[in-house]
Formats: sequence, C-alpha cells, structure tokens
Amino acid sequence: MVEEYSVIGKSQPRIDAMEKATGTAKYLGDLKIPGMLFGKILRSPYAHAKILKVDTSRAERLRGVRGVVTGRDTKGMRLCVIPHLANKPPLAEDRVRFIGDEIAGVAADSEEIAEEALDLIEVEYEELPGVFDSFEALKPGAVKIHEEGNVAIHISRNYGDVEKAFRESDHIFEDRFETQAQLHCCLEPHGSIVHLDQSGNLTVWITTQIPHPYRKMVADVLGMPLNKVRVIKVYMGGGFGGRFEMDPIEIISYFLSKKTGRPIRIINTQDEQFTTGRTRYPMVIDIKTGVKKDGTILARDVKVVTDNGAYNSHGITITMGVGTKCTYLWSVPNMRYQADVVFTNKVYGGAFRGYGNPQITFAIESQMDMIAEKLGMDAKDLCLKNANYEGQSTCMGHKVTSCGLKDCIEKVVEAIGWKEKRRKPENRGVGIASVMHTGGGVRLLFGDCNLSDVFIKMNNDGTIDLASGMAELGQGSDTALAQIAAEELGLRVEDVNVITGDTSTTPQCLGAWGSREIFIAGNATKMAAEEIKRKLIEEASKILEARVDDLVARDRKIYVRGNPEKSVPITQIATIWYNRGNILAGRGCYDDPTTYIPDSKTGYGGVPTYAFGTHAVEVEVDRNTGRVKVLNFIAAHDLGKVINPMLAEGQIEGSALQGLGYALSEGLIWEEGIVLNPNFQDYRIFYINDVPPMKSIMVESVDPDGPYGAKGLGEPGLVPTAGAIANAIYDAVGVRIKSLPITSEKILRAIKEKE
Amino acid sequence: MKRELELKVNGEDYTLEVEPHRTLLEVVRNDLGLTGTKLGCGGGECGACTVILDGKAVKSCLMLALDAKGKELWTIEGLAKGGDLHPLQRAFVQQGAIQCGFCTPGMIMASKALLDENPRPTEQDIKDALAGNLCRCTGYVKILDAVSTVASEERKR
Repeated sequence: MVEEYSVIGKSQPRIDAMEKATGTAKYLGDLKIPGMLFGKILRSPYAHAKILKVDTSRAERLRGVRGVVTGRDTKGMRLCVIPHLANKPPLAEDRVRFIGDEIAGVAADSEEIAEEALDLIEVEYEELPGVFDSFEALKPGAVKIHEEGNVAIHISRNYGDVEKAFRESDHIFEDRFETQAQLHCCLEPHGSIVHLDQSGNLTVWITTQIPHPYRKMVADVLGMPLNKVRVIKVYMGGGFGGRFEMDPIEIISYFLSKKTGRPIRIINTQDEQFTTGRTRYPMVIDIKTGVKKDGTILARDVKVVTDNGAYNSHGITITMGVGTKCTYLWSVPNMRYQADVVFTNKVYGGAFRGYGNPQITFAIESQMDMIAEKLGMDAKDLCLKNANYEGQSTCMGHKVTSCGLKDCIEKVVEAIGWKEKRRKPENRGVGIASVMHTGGGVRLLFGDCNLSDVFIKMNNDGTIDLASGMAELGQGSDTALAQIAAEELGLRVEDVNVITGDTSTTPQCLGAWGSREIFIAGNATKMAAEEIKRKLIEEASKILEARVDDLVARDRKIYVRGNPEKSVPITQIATIWYNRGNILAGRGCYDDPTTYIPDSKTGYGGVPTYAFGTHAVEVEVDRNTGRVKVLNFIAAHDLGKVINPMLAEGQIEGSALQGLGYALSEGLIWEEGIVLNPNFQDYRIFYINDVPPMKSIMVESVDPDGPYGAKGLGEPGLVPTAGAIANAIYDAVGVRIKSLPITSEKILRAIKEKE
Repeated sequence: MKRELELKVNGEDYTLEVEPHRTLLEVVRNDLGLTGTKLGCGGGECGACTVILDGKAVKSCLMLALDAKGKELWTIEGLAKGGDLHPLQRAFVQQGAIQCGFCTPGMIMASKALLDENPRPTEQDIKDALAGNLCRCTGYVKILDAVSTVASEERKR
C-alpha cells in the first residue's frame, strides 16, 4: 500500500538545523558591514517630563563620535504599525512619556565611545506627575499623557440581544480578571543595521517577522519609494510577536546613517529590551455570562480596559481583536463588548503570540470552570455541550470551516486521567481550558488582503529554488514550505532551496503573524508547485505516451499511477525545457478566500479558518507555601493536517511553556513606572528544571481550504494554558485566583482567607 | 594597553593582543571571529555564550579574556570534524531540539561539558547541567530528549 503522502506528515529535521547546530548561522550581531558604526540611544530617566533643552555639543566633540541625532532631526515624525494611529516620535521633541523614551542617538567608532557620549548629552527636564494605572488615567482630571486625552480608543460592539438573553438566563455570573505584562524574552534582543548609501538606496538588516510590510512602513515614514528600500531579515533569535512592527531604533539609525553616510548598528542590551521593549498588554476584564440551568450559554457581556502604555502600537487592534475573540470560543448567541484602551506612563505594549487571546481566554475559561461548579456539572461536559462545531456561524458571523474541539477535549481528559483525579482531595488537582484562534491570519491588518506570493523555479537538474516573503523566525516555516513544495512536485526536501527574508529577492507576503504561515504561504507554495507539476506532467505524457490524468509526481519521477516502472525522471524533463531555452517556473499568489465581512460596521474579523485546542494540567499545591508544581501537561491541538509532526510538537511544547510562565511566574513589576525586574534572574521564565512531563496530541480536522487540510498552530499553544492552571489550582486547594501570574503569595493569601 | 594572550582555540594555538577589560566572549566573537558563541544577556543569566574552557562549561560573558591565558578553549565551531557532526549536534538536528537556534551553541557546549565529565548522566544530571541555559522556543523537551539520546548511546557502548 502506497502512502498518500511521501514528504508531508513526516518528521523532517529543520532545513536550517545544520547551520544552527554548527554555529555558522549568522544573526544580526554576527554581521560586519564595511564602515559600520555603533549606535547607542539616550533614554529618559523620567516617566513623564517636559524637555526644556537638549545640548549635544559636548557629545559631538568626543573623539570617535561620528554623528548625533535628536528630536530636531525627526521632528513631526510619528511611528506605529497601524499608520493612522501613529503617535510615537522616534526621538522625543518636547515631552517624554515613559522611562526609556528615546531622546537622542549617537553613532561612534565603538559601542563604548557611543555610550560615553550619551553621558555628555545635557538634557534639561521639567518633571511632570505620572499616571501608572489605567483606572487612574480614566479618572476625570487625570494627568493628560497625550493632548487628545488618555483614552486611545473606546470600542463598543453588540451582537444579538444581550439584555433579553440575560433576562432569560437561569444564572448570571460576573467576575473580574486581571492579566499582566508578559515579555517575549527573545534570547537575542532587538536591533538593526541601517545603511543609507550615497546613491540614496536604503538597506535595513533586521530581526523582523514581516519583511515586506516592514519595508512599506519604513518607506512611508521616510517618504521613499519601495524600490529604494531593501529589507533583509537575518537569522533571528526568536520573535513571538515582538518583531511585528517598526521600532524607533531603525529610524534613529536611518538619521545617523544619513548624517554619517555609514551603516549604523544598534542592538538593544537585554536590560534595554526588558525596560523599553514591547510587552503583552495588561488587561482588566469584566465578564458577565448568562446560562440556562442545563449549561447552555445564552449571553456574554465583556468589558475590557487595556493598559496601552505610553504610545500606540498594536494596543487598539489587539483590543478590537479581543472583542472578536470573546464572541467565538464556545457557542455564544448574544454578545456585547465594550473596551477602553488607555495611555499610562509606562513602556508600551505590542503584539505577542495570541494577540489578546491569552488574556480573554484566561477569563472565559476560568469562568467556565466556575459556572460548571455552580451548576453541578462536570466542567468537561459543560465545554462539550457548548463546543464549537464545523459549519457553525458565530453570533458575529464567523464561519467555522473545520473543527476538532470536541476531539481535543475528549482526548486530553482521557490522557490526564480526569475521571480518577478530578475533585479528589490530597492537594492535587486537574483542570482544562480550550482555545479557538485564527489558523490563517486575518484581513485588514495590512490592507484589505491576507496574501502571500511564492515563486518557484526549477533548475535544469530538477532541483528547485523557492522564493517567499515569509519570515522564518524559528517556528519552522521555511521547512514546512519546503515540504509542501517537495510533496507536490514529487521531490525530496533536500531538493528545495528556500529563499526567504530579503525583500529584493522575494515576492510580497504579509509575513509571520496570526499563525498564518502554513495556511497562507503554504497554499501559495502549493499553487506555485502545482503550476510546475502541470508542465512536468504534460511533458511526461508525451514521453510516456500516457494520459495526463494518469500521471503522478513522486520519488523525483513522473510515472504512470500504479505502474512506477513506466516513468521519466524529473531531472530529464527539466533538462529538456532548459535546452529548449525555457525555464520551468511557477507562481502561487494566495489571498485567503474569506469574502464575507463578519462585522460590517468595523469591517473587522475576516478570518479564513480556525485552529482549536485544549490543555489539561495536573498540579500539586503546597498549602504551607502556596507553591505550585505542575505534575503533568497534556496539550491537544487541532491543526487541520500535520505537515511535520516533530516541528509541530516543538511549537506546542514551546508555546505551552510560555503559557506556564504566563500562568505562574512571568510579568513585569513596576513602581512609579520603573521596571523592578529587568533581567532573567528577577523576571522568571521557565528553566529546563521546571519542565513538567508533557504530551502533545494532534487532532487533524482537515480544513477544506488549508494546504492538504493544514491550518496554523504557532499561537494557539499558549492561549489556554493559564486557564487550565487556574482551574487545576482550584481543583487542588479550592481557591480561585483571578489575576495573573498566579504566584505562591496569591495562593497562600487566598488559602489563609478561606480558612 | 593591550596584553598578550596565548591560548588554544579549538585545537589550534593562538597568540592575541587584547585589552585587559575585554571579556572572553568579546575576544571569541570579535578577535577570533567565532560568532557561533552568542551574546544574549551579557550578565551570565542566559547561557547563550557558553564555551568549554579546560573541560568546564563557562559563561564567556562573565570572564575576562586574560583569565583564559594558557588554557584550552572549545567553541561550537570546533565540534564538527570535517563535515561530521558531533553526536550532540546530530541529535539536536534530528530530534527537533533547535528552533530559532540562538541558544543552541551554548546549549550544545554545556551538554558537551556534562557528557565529557559524566558520560552516563541521569535526566536530573542533564537538567542540572543545563539549568543555566535558557531557551524560549522549544520548551526544552526536545533538548532534553536529544542530550538523553546521546547519553544513552554512550551507556550502550
């Protein structure tokens, strides 16, 4: 029996693994561009202050300093990943709004000289009172952080009739949940090398997840045509959403390069990354849910206050996204959503794996557990009763094209030993929580599209070069695309040369975010490969005197189905084409098939497919210390169709551990806008010693539009973790912690209060 | 004022002139051009800069280069021999222990130092040896698997 697929579905090592294992892969800090200068940034020591004077003359006179820039150079410029929301000056003009706000940039022969020069820049400040809490910022008469006020946006949405549904409910649950500022903690901090050469060509070497949209942002901000801007994404040490925008660093570097004519390298120190890099947005979530006695959910009313930090980044779109996400996990017929995105004098947030979903899902899933208890139902039965399903149309109008959620729930409860362990004493407990998340990006973030373009050319030996604008950041997209192309063309992964990351050599793609790589770029790759396959098969049909429909591409040959001996090697066909003076090439441009707009008022929410998953955890809680030990972790994810089991497992395990950190240990701690834990010792991510036994379960719901049925997996893996942990802790010791992270202190306090 | 630094790097003798305040990491990356060793945090917290010095795993960002005088240094670049990967490198590649790859060189060097000293470590030994090496991508599961595989192959010998 011949297997259906020869390449996909197999645990293929990453195509860049050798380079990475041998230390030859070049990351940003490993690059040396001739003439390169080193830059450093002067940052505000005040959370909120007027700038009265910036004098750089002494710094400029320091030997080895080649250029200094201030807000005078960047005057009027405002940055943001969503251009019409831009309010971040690359360098402060007359005001600083958080500790770390950029004031001046210095380029020098070495980092040491640049750093010395920072001390010679004289800045006169007039300190202003700061506001560090979103609710304080909302009060009338609060200090205004921006002229327009402290509310970046108010969002209000309504689907169905919430009030009527609450009247019809047997029980109403109202709870408040709070989440913290989690950091990406990429081991490689953010940075770039920027060179504006004498002929006016701009090259940016950068750690970005979105080479093409990034290029457009840079070009627009600087008023340059796209063809003059080249963005080169190098190997990068993690992303997780943290490299999903433009940073002031790059614009500061541009002006330093303009001044000096030389390439400028600025890389954050890890301390700068901890204190001034993007974070996951902290949110306060009030959630009110109405249910019938039998557990049927009738309505959900959600109010969110997002701590935006000092400037706009993804805060508004993420909070709008939460308004979408809270409509669709579990079947909710009536839904109301109101949110305020509020400025504070703290570092501003950004995109982070899950894009608002870990926050709202923690709230929804904690409350589901509470609802089940009150109704006297098993939590798993309440979930199964309300589970999303294939063919579902949600209250907002989202269409569920494939859904393995019930499978996920059933498989994790079986694997964790739910029946034996739930509601048993001994300070041990089990909990579950689920996720529904886009499995293929979303429209409207970068234009009214969600596209990826792929070019493949076949070389005259039958190997191929595949060019895509997608960004490999460790998640394995380059390998997955190679597998898809190889599968389609009957080649092996080692026959594929994947070219990604350079905007000069790759076609348009919106990049790596929204778990869209497999679904969108995978489809584009499949289309491009299919075009070449058609040509190969047409040629082979002449050589083999066989019907086109009877031919298949496999094992580097085109052969007659059921008769592999009647074959022609692909390399032979490639050579025939080449000698004819022709090149076998294919192009696939895929835009997601979502043509409906779920919310016509906002135009928001066009998602092509959904990924699902459920986590089950078992914990042990020490009643004397409040310490939580995770004893067992089961993660089931519906990823449509597995392209590479080993890499998929890696995504699940890695995101689950980030989820455990989010649940139990991670979070910035501030005092008056000062970050108190700006390093890996005081900001605790999980170490190898903390890893619990983990098991990944893949559920294949085979999406009708996904390549081979596949859909995204990158983000869902950390979305439900915190809810599962909170529910397991409740099961273990009977205390409900509604704020993240669930530290020992919080648990101990709650146990004491209960006693 | 620069001072002379003699040391053996990946089996070859070097004589360098280095400033006394330079860290071993700076000299490895900038003077020797061995950029496989990474600068992550610069404070000894993440382990991306781990190298092997006289048989011990050290965080090269915390050590002055001149303190390595006369010693034998191994970096990630010295592990593969003529295209043949070291068993640890092979296991990391084949078992999916690498994602972004930034922690990988330090992770492999720390693992090598462990296996050189204790070829048959228990799982807890491996966890203890790698407790100072952070990884944000993999969840460590496959890293642990990879090192365990090499250790158990060693055990079979």
